[in-house]
Amino acid sequence: MTTQLAPPATNPLTTPKAGYTAAAGRWAGALAGALAIFSVLLIAKGANPVSVFGQMMASTFTGASVEQIVIKAAPLILAAMAVVLPARAGLANVGGEGQVIIGAVAGAGVGLVVQGPAALPLMLVAGALGGAVWAGLAVALRVTVGVNEAVTTLLLNYVALDVMLYLIYEPWKDAHGSGQPATPPLSVEQRLPLLSGTAVHAGIILALLAAVAVWLTLRHTAFGFRLAVTGGNPEAARRAGLPVARLLMTAMLLGGALAGLAGVIQLAGVEFKLRPGLTTNIGYIAFLAAWLARHNPLPATAAAFLLAAITVGGDSLQLDSGLPAATVNVLMALILLAVLGWTAKRSPS
Amino acid sequence: MLRKLIPLALLAPLIACSANTTGTTGATTNSGGAAAPGKGSPSVGFIFVGPKDDYGYNQAAYQGSQAVAAAFPNLKVLTAENVPEDDNAARVMNSMIAKGAKIIFATSYGHLDAAMKVAAEHPDVAVVQQGNLITGAVPANAGTFFGTVYEPVYLAGIAAGKATKSGKLGYVYAFPITQTIDNIDAFERGAQSVNPTVKTYAVSTSSWCDPAKQAEAAANLLKQGVDVITQHQDCTATVIKATEAAGKYTVGYHADASSIAPKGWLTGSQWNWGPLYVDIVKTALGGGFTGSKYNANFRVGYKTGENPFVQSPYGPMVDEATKSAIDQAREGLKTGSPFAGPVKDQDGKVRIPDGTVPDYTAIEKIDYFVDGVVGTLPKS
Repeated sequence: MTTQLAPPATNPLTTPKAGYTAAAGRWAGALAGALAIFSVLLIAKGANPVSVFGQMMASTFTGASVEQIVIKAAPLILAAMAVVLPARAGLANVGGEGQVIIGAVAGAGVGLVVQGPAALPLMLVAGALGGAVWAGLAVALRVTVGVNEAVTTLLLNYVALDVMLYLIYEPWKDAHGSGQPATPPLSVEQRLPLLSGTAVHAGIILALLAAVAVWLTLRHTAFGFRLAVTGGNPEAARRAGLPVARLLMTAMLLGGALAGLAGVIQLAGVEFKLRPGLTTNIGYIAFLAAWLARHNPLPATAAAFLLAAITVGGDSLQLDSGLPAATVNVLMALILLAVLGWTAKRSPS
Repeated sequence: MLRKLIPLALLAPLIACSANTTGTTGATTNSGGAAAPGKGSPSVGFIFVGPKDDYGYNQAAYQGSQAVAAAFPNLKVLTAENVPEDDNAARVMNSMIAKGAKIIFATSYGHLDAAMKVAAEHPDVAVVQQGNLITGAVPANAGTFFGTVYEPVYLAGIAAGKATKSGKLGYVYAFPITQTIDNIDAFERGAQSVNPTVKTYAVSTSSWCDPAKQAEAAANLLKQGVDVITQHQDCTATVIKATEAAGKYTVGYHADASSIAPKGWLTGSQWNWGPLYVDIVKTALGGGFTGSKYNANFRVGYKTGENPFVQSPYGPMVDEATKSAIDQAREGLKTGSPFAGPVKDQDGKVRIPDGTVPDYTAIEKIDYFVDGVVGTLPKS
């Protein structure tokens, strides 16, 4: 008997279509509340909230900053989809971080042996497969012996990190890399191309396509419907004849593949080398984005952009206002607490 | 029908794509017409990998940045802490450049890739990186700098060798980069010079500052019977407090932490970045960066000038005999070296022959532990 740790996803079978204005109002109220508390903290630190927010806005909406927000959001969107899709089936995929890492590792591995124009597509496929396999380990344990996937996926994050560290310290270490553990850099043709005229890599296209694909799947396909039924009531689904175990596995494997893709686009679009801190919490931040959006694909995409924007805007807190580096984390935490605390849908009683 | 076309429309930008060459092309010569990197810059930017009050590496770099602020009152000094050693560093440096900084200090070892990327994108900005080495041609607007940290660490090793009763010393380190290997080897050789059978146990945490891993490493070393512990970590307090609590000796690194180890503090090494930072900024502001000694892999030590890495004050347990032994060794380093031959590695093979005194460049190529160090380096 497994307990579900995923929240009941807003199920398209039961969600009323009306109430969006009310929801928007609650969101605006929650954000305003978070900013008000943040302003109090700023005043306590001796800063002027009006000028702090003004400078944050000014620096966040320059061309270069918008490009950085898009670059940061691309893997977050994919990793958020990796949480959203399994959540529809009632699975809690906390292993985004590990799946992202293994995706990057798989992509880097292919990059070490394959050169030329075939390398990049193969790396992307390898990344997706790597993430899927990593998620598959957890869901296999769930459907065979009933181990809760929230626990296994979370623990596998640490294993994934150690796998990557081993590889970059020993077999894959760049011999010309002045001693720091990292793989040799990807060649130019192995990198994701830039959208011409900008510094943004093509990974954002993949991310947006994936978000649309997840949305279409969950809303307009029979498979999506079956996932929703399984997520709503697995026992009823089983009795109705749905192949529950196969559905859970498919959902989780797809989720892992999306997260693995996030890892490989971060490698091939931005970092070009595996490094100890490569994924910098992409999986965890995307998990928060998915929760903020209550596991709906398109709002989760918007949440990913929002969190990316806060991270980039946070530079201004240090550079313009001289606040400590942790201030941006405080802002993010306040926004999350406010939204999660104040925008819960009132369930019809 | 239209709905089916929307996904195709998303593919349109893919048609307009260009190859991703960021960071691979860089100006290696100062093409005529480009402004001298850093000349007349209104502000200077510093990025740190950790917090500025870590009682160690980043605090020392931060104090250096404040020395620059004091020396150039009209210069705006921008600082950013907790900047990770990945592409985020490039983003933060670019933000500083967007705010007018034409001189950037990237103060952590792993910031090199991001620093080189930024240097390639902005030929009029002088980008200097602390601690790493640029391999290949040095771009006209970039350079690295560091002090020969292993020289004061060698002197501190002498104090450790004299103080130890168990004959076992401990070294907690982050990554097996050249600086660290040089440090561990020099520490062991300093201790060996006064105590021939002493051993140094080296343990890695794979992180510049992870207090949980540091506490675990210190506990493991203490269990092995180690009675003097030192480290190459950015934040030093955790290991020192654990050692002091166990009643053992501490040799400090990056900062003078004697106040948290009042009984066990022997000596250590710490940074005095101010004079070097100020000189780099002065050179760049005047337009003389390209072709200067800083437009290279600049290393300074006891032999060549003022080492920004200096020995820390002594603790109460260090006796006069040890102090005079250290003074003598310091004099000797002006012409000698902690690695003056013969130097054997852990397998007993002679790496530096008898009579050879290696120069600073040769020492930065050492990638092995010397005889007497207990620990394994990853094989690559």
